[in-house]
Parts: sequence; structure tokens; C-alpha cells
Amino acid sequence: MSIWEKAKTLDRRIIFLFMFLGVGLPLLAKIGLPVSVTDDVRNVYNYIEKLEPGDIVLVSYDHDTGTLPEMIPMSDAILRHLFKKDIRVVGMALRAEGNGIGRQNIRRTSAEFDKTEGTDYVFLGFRPEITAAILGLGTSFEKVFPKDDRGIPVGELPLMNEVSNYNDVKLVISVTDDDTPVYWVNYANARFKVKVVAGLTAVMATTFFPFIDSGQMVGMVAGLKGAAEYEKLIKTPGRAARGMDAQSIAHLVMIGFIIIGNVAFIMRRRGK
Amino acid sequence: MPLQVFAFELYISDQPNDDGTRLTVEWDPLPPDDLRSIDPEIYSLLRSESPDGEFTSIDIVSRLDPSRRKIDENLATGRSYYYKLAYSDSTISWESNVAGPAAPEENWYNRSRTNVLIGILITGAFVGIFIILGRKGKSLYLRPIAGLNAMDEAIGRATEMGKPILYSSGRGKMERPASIASMNILGSVAEKVASYGTPLIFPNNDPVVTAVAQEVAREGYTKAGHADLYNPDNIYFVTDSQFGYAAAVDGIMMRERPATNLFFGTFEAESLILAETGNSIGAIQIAGTDSSIQMAFFIVACDFVLIGEELFAASGYLSGDPQVVGTLKGSDYLKVIIIIMILFGAVVGLLNQEWFVNLFLTA
Amino acid sequence: MRRTFPILVCFSFGMTMLVQFFVPSKLSTDAYNEITNWVQIIYAFALIVGVVGLLKYHFSRVSRRERGWFYNLVTVASLIVMSLLGFIGGRGDGGSFMWVFNNMMAPMQATVFSLLAFFVASAAYRGFLARNLEAFLLLFSAVMIMFGIASVGNAIPPFSDIANWILINPSMTARRGIFIGVGLGTIAVSLRVILGVERTYLGKE
Repeated sequence: MSIWEKAKTLDRRIIFLFMFLGVGLPLLAKIGLPVSVTDDVRNVYNYIEKLEPGDIVLVSYDHDTGTLPEMIPMSDAILRHLFKKDIRVVGMALRAEGNGIGRQNIRRTSAEFDKTEGTDYVFLGFRPEITAAILGLGTSFEKVFPKDDRGIPVGELPLMNEVSNYNDVKLVISVTDDDTPVYWVNYANARFKVKVVAGLTAVMATTFFPFIDSGQMVGMVAGLKGAAEYEKLIKTPGRAARGMDAQSIAHLVMIGFIIIGNVAFIMRRRGK
Repeated sequence: MPLQVFAFELYISDQPNDDGTRLTVEWDPLPPDDLRSIDPEIYSLLRSESPDGEFTSIDIVSRLDPSRRKIDENLATGRSYYYKLAYSDSTISWESNVAGPAAPEENWYNRSRTNVLIGILITGAFVGIFIILGRKGKSLYLRPIAGLNAMDEAIGRATEMGKPILYSSGRGKMERPASIASMNILGSVAEKVASYGTPLIFPNNDPVVTAVAQEVAREGYTKAGHADLYNPDNIYFVTDSQFGYAAAVDGIMMRERPATNLFFGTFEAESLILAETGNSIGAIQIAGTDSSIQMAFFIVACDFVLIGEELFAASGYLSGDPQVVGTLKGSDYLKVIIIIMILFGAVVGLLNQEWFVNLFLTA
Repeated sequence: MRRTFPILVCFSFGMTMLVQFFVPSKLSTDAYNEITNWVQIIYAFALIVGVVGLLKYHFSRVSRRERGWFYNLVTVASLIVMSLLGFIGGRGDGGSFMWVFNNMMAPMQATVFSLLAFFVASAAYRGFLARNLEAFLLLFSAVMIMFGIASVGNAIPPFSDIANWILINPSMTARRGIFIGVGLGTIAVSLRVILGVERTYLGKE
């Protein structure tokens, strides 16, 4: 069997090994590859930048723990921007696991800016049934979330006294690993006209280009790359910038394998 | 500080297309001439139910607010309200003229959604007409769908090899059309596997889908005359966690070694994890999803993939129910209308005319 | 009757939600709020059905000592332990529930997610072969996107520009076509369900 024939049935564990090295080594040795900012991320940054101190933004944690490493840097970067500008944050989750993730994330990031729960931010908790929850918030936040995550009635939270429905919210940010932003666009934006931004895993990004192009979404921050771009915009390097080296090299490894596969394919054809 | 009232107008109007609980307050550019030297950042918006009564602050108004409007909510339908703008500091206490009365009116039709209504009526008419034609027995042609044609072969292969068939509807909740379409396909699959006596395994991600799937599969086995072969233990809820589910299904694939994997429904990032594992065990794989991203992953790792609306067409194709086929024909004709509108819109757009695009906007 | 009643329920609620979209009156808004509230309540009960079904399935496998019964036992034990931790210690930060969540559940799930990187690589190696012109275009686009968007090529204008062009033009065009198809399919299924033409999902006759 020629080397080209062997390449056809290459043991996938060899590919896995190279991918492992491609991801692992850059994490050990910092390379610092450049990151350029895309329009989709810049649009999100600019929109938040134009908000006034005291404005309210809804951040919904619509993802599971599996995608935490990709989602947290992005969520951290956006929250830091919001808190830095004294924008108040209402957190919630449309996934059960998003509840624990969102609560910890908002509390951790808010602590960096000495924010007070109930006044500067709240975390309302988790609600199942995405469609019903998103539609319900359009009429009344209090009906969907009578109490916050700690069990305190929302009527007793100064921030929630200023939030009746989407009219009081300047922006909805859905941090997600699936197509939940489609629901936010279809129900919250189309019906209640609230602006929507998506913080996504990279793999989901292309789903949302048409929504951004049509103006139904302000923009999106996709994957580690999007998070690194956002970190660059707020001038606060974080976890994403470090992870970008690994991501870049991993893609180069993949391109290398695609080239090898095609060279082998062409050589096999010639040999026939 | 003596109160000074200046001629600065607020404009109050009923918020259209609502349940009669909102009024819109608009104002001229700020600051008023008399406050130009101070140019305050923030004003108070006050409301009262009588022009001479006590006004209470309901909101703040920023000088920089480009919209120059506020919507006052949770008002009583039909009751009259008055508004004014106020500003005070250590040097001046300023108030605008009282604006009003204005009363919120309840609306019974949302005019801004007329275009949506027309769209729904056209869609309903097309689908309705073809359902009626289907009922009357008119023969409607459906082009062959390779993925569905391969279904028999895939089930037959599993039977020959004496291995089970694995079915997954992904992560969709029951209300998703893709999940409903998946249940319809499951019905046909269950009927076929029952007649061949091949085991069908369906690990599930949602409890409601599990309950429905058990009923649908039972019905399929009964239709095939093999109700005794139906094993409810083979259709079970695993977890609603995304990657917990992916790990569980991968584990089942590695242990049970199904000869055929059928993925029909809503899939997310777990799609490739499932399809690649299926590929590694040499299973024939047929997939169909409403997620355009995951379609790409399935195309790389599966043998057959239903593209876009083929997933929704599958139930009509498999069942041959003329009414279901009728709805497919209806949506095909709608597609023609949409294509014509896209082409027309492109021409109009090139001529810098916006009126056509505006027809599709909702307030 | 077993089918007629669910079809009637489906028709009336489907039509109510459809009509409600065009009627902003208070009565309509209240009905809408009630329905959305009830959907959430019903879903919460469905979770109970799921947990009961899960326990039934795994217990029966453990009791029959079926192959791999130990893993069924682990599943049941995990469910019980996590529930107890949540009920007794609460779900607050710093509690044992959150400790398990952060230190066991999150890493395990992230591990499965990370498999995607390896599987994408092996699928790309196998699938991206320039068999014909169409396959070559797909291959070229994939490499350009990987290099120009997600990798170092992002900082090199010709590559990032080409990659962005591919994403914004041909990719989005194809995606829109699929969207429209999926949208029409969704409408057709929804109408079939509301009108009672589609009944398979109801199961038994």
C-alpha cells in the first residue's frame, strides 16, 4: 500500500494527537498573535458605548456548562463594559444550567466594580419554556419572575421597580450556545422592538449574519475570537486573548490536514 | 425659589395599537429658551389626573434623548391625564405648560400588522386550497428525496446485520415544528422496523418528546401488526443537558453498535459529535435538521441529509397522506411568489426605491 | 374522542394565539398572558414526568442486572445526591451543590464539547476533498474562512477580506435560501397541526 493509499485510511487518532498539540502547546507558550476587530463586534461595543449611565440591559444566560470555556470570556468582557459605564444589569437564564453560570458570573464581575445587588444589578433566575418566557417578559417582568434568584420579591428590589417590560430595557444580550437568539429576535425584537445582541459559540455564528444584515440584531460577539476582539475594544486583555493563540494554531493544523488529504487524493487519482 | 411657568409645549397622544393603557409624551428640542443659560441635563416628567391637582414625577427626561418621547404605561383606559415637564435647582424652579387632557384608548386591531395579516391570509389560502385539492383526490407530484428513499435500505441493512437502529430527534422541544416533523418520520420508521423485527433505540433529550415518541412508536408497531415487539424501555429520557445527551448517545453507539443512525429534528453543537461517532462505527447515517449550521456538519459526516424544508416534507412523503402533500404543494407555490418578490425587490432596490421594503416592515 | 379533544384544544389555542397577535385589546393581552403563564407551568410538570420516567427506566435496568447496570446505578445516585445537596444545602454560591456544579458537571460537559475540535478536524480531513468543481469551491471557502477569520490570516487584509466576502455573500445567500425553505416548512407544519391535518404526534388512534 502506497503512502497515499495509507493517507486515505489515516487513523483519526493521529489527527486527534496533532489537534491536541495544536491546542495545548500555544496555551503553554504565549505567542500573542494579532487580533483585528470585526464590524459585528464593533457594532455591539458602539451600541453599549452610546448608552447612558443608569440605562438597563438584560443579559440572558441561555447556555449549558459544556460551552463555559468559550462563553465566559465573552460574557466577562461585555459585563465589564456595562458595569464600567454604570449601566445596570438584569440577569436571567433560559437554560437550567445557565442559572448557576449567570448568577456566579454577574456577581463575580460586578464585584470588580463594587456594584450592589438589587440596585446596580439583579439576577432573576431560570425560567423554562423559551417562547413563553420571552413573550411573557414583553408584558411584565414581575409576572415571569415574581422573585429574584435569592427568593426576594422583585417589588422589593429598587432596580426592578424601574423595569416593567421590554420598554424599560435598552438592550437584550443572549449569551448562548444554540439558536436561542432566533427566539429573542422573533418574539422580543419583532413583537416588542427591543434591540437584541447575541454572544455565541463560534460554531453558531453564521446562523445570525442574516439577522444582523436585516437590522433585527445589533451585532454579535462570536466565540473566543469575538471575546478577544471585545477585550481589545475595552482595553482589558483577559482569557480570550490568551485562548486565541491556541485557536489560531488549531485552525492551521486543520488546514494542514486538509492540504495533506487533498495531495494524497490527487496522487491516488494520478496513480490509477 | 419662586416657581416660574414658561411656554414650553408637551404633546400628548394615545399610543396606537395597544390595550388602552399607554400615552405618548413628546416634546420640542431641549433646553427651553428660558433655560438656555443653565442647559440642565435632566428634567422631571410629571403627571396628574386634573390640571390643577397634584402632579407626581413619573420619569426623568434627558436633554440628550434623541427620540424626544416617552411612553407612559399602566394607565387606566379612558381616564384623562395631564403632563408637564419640570426642572429645579438652587437658582430656579421651572415648569412647562400643562399639556392635556389625553385619555388612552383601547384598540381592537393592530393596524401596524396589516402586512403580516395579508401574508398569513395568502399563505393560509394557498395551503388551504391544496389541502382541499388533496382531499378531493387530486394527484400531487412530490419529487423524490434521496435521504428518504434510502431509509428502506438503511433499515434493511440493520435487519440483515442483526443490529439495532438508533433514532435521535436532537435537542428540540415538542413545540418546534422540526420535532413534530421528526415524530412523523418516527411513526413511519417504527412501522418499518416493526415489520422487520429490528430493535429501535431512541434516547431522548426532552421528557415531553419522550412521552410523544413512545406513543408514536407504539402506534407504528401496532399498525405493522407487531404491537408485541414494541419495547417502551428502548425509548427513554436521558437528560436535558446538551453534552450530557451527546455523551450518552455516543456511549450507546459504542456499546450497541447500531447499523443505522437516524438524526431528525433540531440539533446544535452536538450534531457532529454524534455523527462522527456514528461514522467511526460504520453506521449508515441519515439526517435532517432545521438548523442550517448543523446541516453542514451532517453533510460531512452522514450518508444522506435532508436539506431545509425536506425535513418538513418527509411526513407527507412517507405517509402519502394527500392532505399533508397538499400543504407541501401550497408552500412550494408560496416559494415561487417569494422568489418573484425577491427579484422584484432587487430591481426596485437597485432603483433606490424604498417603498417596496417598507411594505414588509412592522411598527 | 381520544384524538378529537386534543385536536380541538390545539386548534382553539393555535387560533387564539394567531388572532391575539392582531388584537391588542386588554382582553386579548390578558388571555395571552394567561396562556404564556400556563405553558410554563405545564412544562414544569413535564419535568416531573421526565424524572419519574428516568428513575423507572434506570431502576428497572438495575433490578434486572442488565449489561452496564452499574452505570444506571450511578445515574440514579447522581440524581438523588444532587437533589439532596440542592434541597438541604441550597443552591447558593459556595455551597456543596455549586461546588459539584462548578468542579464536576462543568468540566465533564466541557470535555464532551471539546471533542468537537477533534471531530471537526477528522471530518474535515475526510470530507474536504476536491473531487469536482463544487467540492473544490467548498474546500477553498472552508480554508479561506478558517485562515482569514479564525486564524492568523485575520490580520492579513487580503485573506480576511476574501473570508468576509465569502461569509457575507455566497454563504449568506445560501443560508437565506435555506431559511426561507425552513420557514415555509415551519408554516406548513404549524398549519397542519392547528388544522388537525397532522395527527401523528398524538400517537394512538
